[in-house]
Order: sequence, then structure tokens, then C-alpha cells
Amino acid sequence: MSFSLDLYVPGRSWLHRCDPRVKLWLLLLGVALAFRWTHPLTQALYVTLLLLVLRLAGITGRSLGWLWHQMRPLVLLMLLLQPFFTPSGKILAQVGPLTLTVGGLNSGALLALRILAMAFLTGGLLFTTDQRALVQAFVRLGLPYTWGLTVSLTLRFLPAIGGLATTVREAQASRGWVAEGNFIRRARDYLPVLIAIVIGALRLSDQLALALAARGLDYPGPRTTWRKLQMRRVDWWVLGLSTVGFIGAWSASLIYPAL
Amino acid sequence: MAALAPAILAQDLSFRYPAYDSATAPQPVWQHLHLRVEAGTALTVAGGNGSGKSTLCYVLAGLAPRHTDGEAHGALHLADHDVLAAPPSPRLVGLLFQDAAVQLFNTTAEDEVAWGLEALGVAPEVIGPQVMLALRRFGLLDQRHRAPWQLSGGQQKRLALAAVWAMRPRVLLLDEPLQGLDPEGQAEVLAALESLRKEGATLLFTTPDFAEVAAMQDVSLLEEGALTAPAPAAGFAGQTQRLSAAGILCPAEAWEKLRHARSRIGAETALEVRNLRFRYPNGPAVLHGLDLKIPRGQCVALIGPNGAGKTTLVRHFNGLLRPTMGAAYVMGQDCASRSTGQLAREVGFLFQRPEQQLFAATVREEVAYGPRRLGFPDAEARVERALEHFGLREVAPRPPAILGYGWQRAVTLATLAALDPPILILDEPTAGLDGRGRQQLLSWLAERRAAGTTLILVTHELALAAAADRVIALHEGRITADGMPTEVLPRFSREAAR
Repeated sequence: MSFSLDLYVPGRSWLHRCDPRVKLWLLLLGVALAFRWTHPLTQALYVTLLLLVLRLAGITGRSLGWLWHQMRPLVLLMLLLQPFFTPSGKILAQVGPLTLTVGGLNSGALLALRILAMAFLTGGLLFTTDQRALVQAFVRLGLPYTWGLTVSLTLRFLPAIGGLATTVREAQASRGWVAEGNFIRRARDYLPVLIAIVIGALRLSDQLALALAARGLDYPGPRTTWRKLQMRRVDWWVLGLSTVGFIGAWSASLIYPAL
Repeated sequence: MAALAPAILAQDLSFRYPAYDSATAPQPVWQHLHLRVEAGTALTVAGGNGSGKSTLCYVLAGLAPRHTDGEAHGALHLADHDVLAAPPSPRLVGLLFQDAAVQLFNTTAEDEVAWGLEALGVAPEVIGPQVMLALRRFGLLDQRHRAPWQLSGGQQKRLALAAVWAMRPRVLLLDEPLQGLDPEGQAEVLAALESLRKEGATLLFTTPDFAEVAAMQDVSLLEEGALTAPAPAAGFAGQTQRLSAAGILCPAEAWEKLRHARSRIGAETALEVRNLRFRYPNGPAVLHGLDLKIPRGQCVALIGPNGAGKTTLVRHFNGLLRPTMGAAYVMGQDCASRSTGQLAREVGFLFQRPEQQLFAATVREEVAYGPRRLGFPDAEARVERALEHFGLREVAPRPPAILGYGWQRAVTLATLAALDPPILILDEPTAGLDGRGRQQLLSWLAERRAAGTTLILVTHELALAAAADRVIALHEGRITADGMPTEVLPRFSREAAR
């Protein structure tokens, strides 16, 4: 249990210092715009702009590279499959039931870029916000504390559960398991791993429940917060400018629907 | 003036978990306990694996049966608080869990300490100074911005202790606080406990190893479901047989047996690495060009602090890791060309943390998995022999996942015994084992040694290393010493002490 899904990279950039509620607002506006653009070129421009903003916010190329690496399979899948599911416009090629069209290609590129835009927007939040601040932001926005805590605990312990699969697989291999046979045989071999993961997860959640109770989760009376979130002047500026920018971009898309 | 109530007072206290199945009656974990711990004193509860030490801690902390299955009967008071009637506050009792990692769920050390104070509703302006005080108190102030999972084992235990201590509980319960730590980590935690004791904290700590309690004041034994009256640790001198029977002391004869078992060292090389270098993807280099030859039948101890690269080195011998540069050989064959499953005929591997590697529906199936996979014609006979050797017949039809630590460790050893490979690599084989488990392990090792099995023992336990033919010390991915135990260990101990 030596690692976590915490993506936060400490830093002092303007985005790091922004109130997490403002960052959630930016995420909301950003995702809305990603869904608004209907042309792949506009979407590509948007992704480039996002990358630029994230680099200006001190997010390292390594972090962004990691994010791209994670998203690459999904992006490529969309790029390759989507054109065949949404054929429209000029036909470029036809092989059996598969038809490649200009409209289909546009649609694939648009969807792949949209996924990338949303990944970068989410990355912008998670790379610059520690989990504690994020939970606090959710609570301040009205989410019950236990919900926020659940999200945080899931991020903390999910990789540990994933690590169990590796451990069990290694234990099996060291006792003679070799990948062989057809898909059904392999799937059957994987069943004990799933059982071990379920048992491990239950054991972990039992222990966690005890640890939380022992530390006062159910203690009567209101919780206090050591470091309270406070909107500073810069937060109001970012909030205002981003909202104005959003309204501008949205209006442009209304005036030029092809964007 | 009324006398001050004892910090812990249990009278005729019993606890039982529900039965494993409808055919069996629920068995008490322990019953009719009487326990009295005065404020400002320390008590050690020593008991073997499965004796109910953790359950005792959970009941005392008000967690069981409130947050677990089971039933408690009798009376239990912490100061004047009736624990069975109402949950005690974290201000009254704090518990350090056996597995500190589960207790740490925040993203920085300082947030970890602050979490409990926030739960208690402490004023925000007071939390900061209290967090810093607790971190300083346990030597973690310079680690305050680090994530708990980036800390060493000893630091994690100290952080969990700091988080509990910050809430200022009147009673501190510590469940096997030294388990799974290297000597350095153990020394760190022992020093922290000793200073708490000197400050007059009320402490109750549990251990499966009597050797750990030598420095403590009063000791109670948890044996056969009953708790003995506290007695000074020194008073148990000469009671070897009793302590062995309670499962908390490995008798000297078991060590002697391993020491005197003569290795049958052959001329061939069993394991070899040439210029072995390894680095994890996107990580720093762990091994820096190791050269090593281990002849067949030799018993070798691999020692060194956490992070020295011991486990990384031995994982090359069963193909779980592939060299970044250089090569690893088993019986003269390059491991690179063989999968872990193929190497299993020659190399048996005991992993750390047995609870994470058991996957079969019953203990018997678990032990039979390897011999069946490798197609041994006498698979069933091997399974029976292994079950017998490790005393597992009684639990053979049960799922291994629900067994206690001692049983699970025995099951993992039995899975290796059933394969009976010519090379055995055991990663921290004594970690978390009580005296009884150690005795079982040492006797099996002595047998394998005399039978000519090549043994590689990755260990923090210097007594185990002393019983080997050869000791190899690793530090930061390099071999720093290699020779007879009498040559290497004194030097290693001096360096560790420095």
C-alpha cells in the first residue's frame, strides 16, 4: 500500500494558489465549451490553448505526458472507430459493410479531441489541487463530508486494490501458472485473482472503517477545519475573467455555428 | 477523597465472533478476563498469533463488537466510562493499529495529524500548534509535507502514533507496534514508546514475541483464551517451556537445530548474477552492477536496510523482474528466456504478506495448486505431506483468506513444501511470526538444508542470518560485505548502530 492515485504535484503557480471552488468552476466552463465546439479545427485550437494555459500554470511536460499516455488508447480508439459509426458526406472508401466518409472522419477527430480537452481540464484541477482542498471545496459547495471523504479514500486506496491483482498473479506464477490456452481457459484462470481482490478489498474496508471510527469519525458535534478555504482577490479576478471569456466564446459559437 | 478509577478495568470480560458456519458453535476468542491497569502505568500483553490480542485492543477501544461482528460479555470501564454501553471518545482511548498504512489516509503527514483534531471539533487556531507539537514530539516535523505512503515503515508507525497522541487520549493501545519493521524502524518506535512511558502515559501494548518485552515492566500472557495476572518481565526468566507453549517464545533448540543442520554444498552453481543492473520504469537505479555466485545447497542470508535492493535482487531469480542490464542465471540457465511459471520447478518463492497471495477456496486447494499446475504425478501425496508437516489438517477444508496471520503464513510455507523445489527463496520468512510459527519454520528450514536445498533467506533478523553458511550485505544496490556470518554480522551490527 505504498502508493496512491493522488495526482497532485505541489507548486506555487497561479492555478495552484487558486481556490479549488474557482478551479471547479473553470472545469465546468471548460467542459461546456468542449461540448460546444462542433468543428475539429476549433476543437484542436481549444486543446492547444488549454495546453498552453496548463504549461503557463506550471504543470510540467512530464505530468502532461503521463496524462496523454493514459488517454492515448481511448483517443486512438475514438479516432479509429467513430468514423465508421457516423458516416456522412462524401464517401472516401468502402470495404464490405464499412464506409469511410469525410463527415465520419470529422466526427472521429472531434470526439477524440473533445476527450483530450476534458482530460487536460481535469488534469488542470487534479495536478494543482491536493485532495484535502478538493474534499473541502465539495463540502463547502454543499456535499456531505462523508461523501467527500469517500471520494478521497477511494483515490487513496484504489491502487492498493489494483496492486492485489499483481500480487496474486505473481504468487500464482511462482507456483507454476503459465499463460496458455484459449480465452475461456485464461478467463477461468483469472477467477481466483478476482476472488482474492474482493476478499482483499473487503478486508481493507473493514480495517479502514475501524481506523476511521477510532479516530473519531462519528464523534458528536461539528467538525472544524484547520485551513479554511477563503476566496481572495485573485480568485474573484479569475472567476470574473473566466466567466467573461466563457460568455464571449459561447456567443461566438452562436454567431458562427460552424465553429 | 475518592480513589482515582483505574485507567482500564475489565471484569469477567469475554468475547466471541460468530461461528464460521452453521455446523459449528461460536468459540470464544478469550473469556473471563480480569484486567486492571492503573493510570500512568504500562502493560504488555504477550500472546501467540491468533490468541486474540487484536480483538482485545478492539474491545478495549470500543470498536468491537460495535463495528465488528461478535458479542462481548462482562464489564469494561476506561476510567469511569462504561465502554460496552457507549463508545469511548478518542480523548479517552487511542489505538495504534497493527498495519499503520491502513490508519493513514490523508495526503500529507500534517493533514494526517490534523484530521483527528478536526473530528473532535478543536478550534482551527489551536489545531496548527498541536499538529506541529505532535510531529516534533515524534521526530517528523521535517516530513510534514510528505505523503504518508512515501515514508519508511518506522516513520509510518510514528506518524500513526503522532496522529493518535495528538488527540491526547488517556489510554494508548498499541497493537504489535514493532511488526514488519526493520531494526532501524523498531529502534525508532521503541524509543518513542519508551519516552511516552517515562512521561507517565497509560500504555497497553501487544506482542507475539517475548523477546520484545524484555525491556518492559509488567507482562500478562494471553494463553488458551485466558489472561494471566500482570507480572514483571524478569519474573518469566527460566519459564521457557511455558512461554513456548503459549506460542510467544521460539525455544533455543529450534535455533540450534537450524544452526547444526549441515548444508550439502555441491560443486555446481545454483544461482548467479553477472553485472546485474536494475531500475524500475521512471524510477531511480536500484541495483548497480552486482556479481554473485551461489553454489547448490548453500544457505545464504541476504541482509541490509529497507530499500537496499534485497527483494529486487531475488525477484530476478524467479523471473518476476528482468535485468535492465546484465543477467541472472538459475542452474546455469539464463532467466531471461524463461517465464516465472517455468522457473517454478527450480525456484520456490515465499513472498511477504501472506494474506495478499492466497486465492483458493480451501487450504487444501491452495496447497495443491502448484503441484497440480506443474503436473507432478504424486501431487496428492505431496499435498498430504505438506498439510501434515505444517499442522494444517484441521483447517484444510477452510478458506485460507479467513484464517489468522499465523495460519496463513503456515499455508504459504506448505505451498512451497508441496512443490519441494531445489532452490528456496524466502523473503522475510520470520516477519510477524510468533514463537510457535518460528519453531515450525526453523524446523522445516533445517530439514531442507540437510536435504541439500539451496536456501536464500532475505531477512532483517540477525539471529536467522547468523544460522546461515554465508551472509551477503546489501546497501543502496551494492554488495557491501560477503562472507561467513562471524565475519559479516559484527561489522554490519556496528554500522547499523552508527
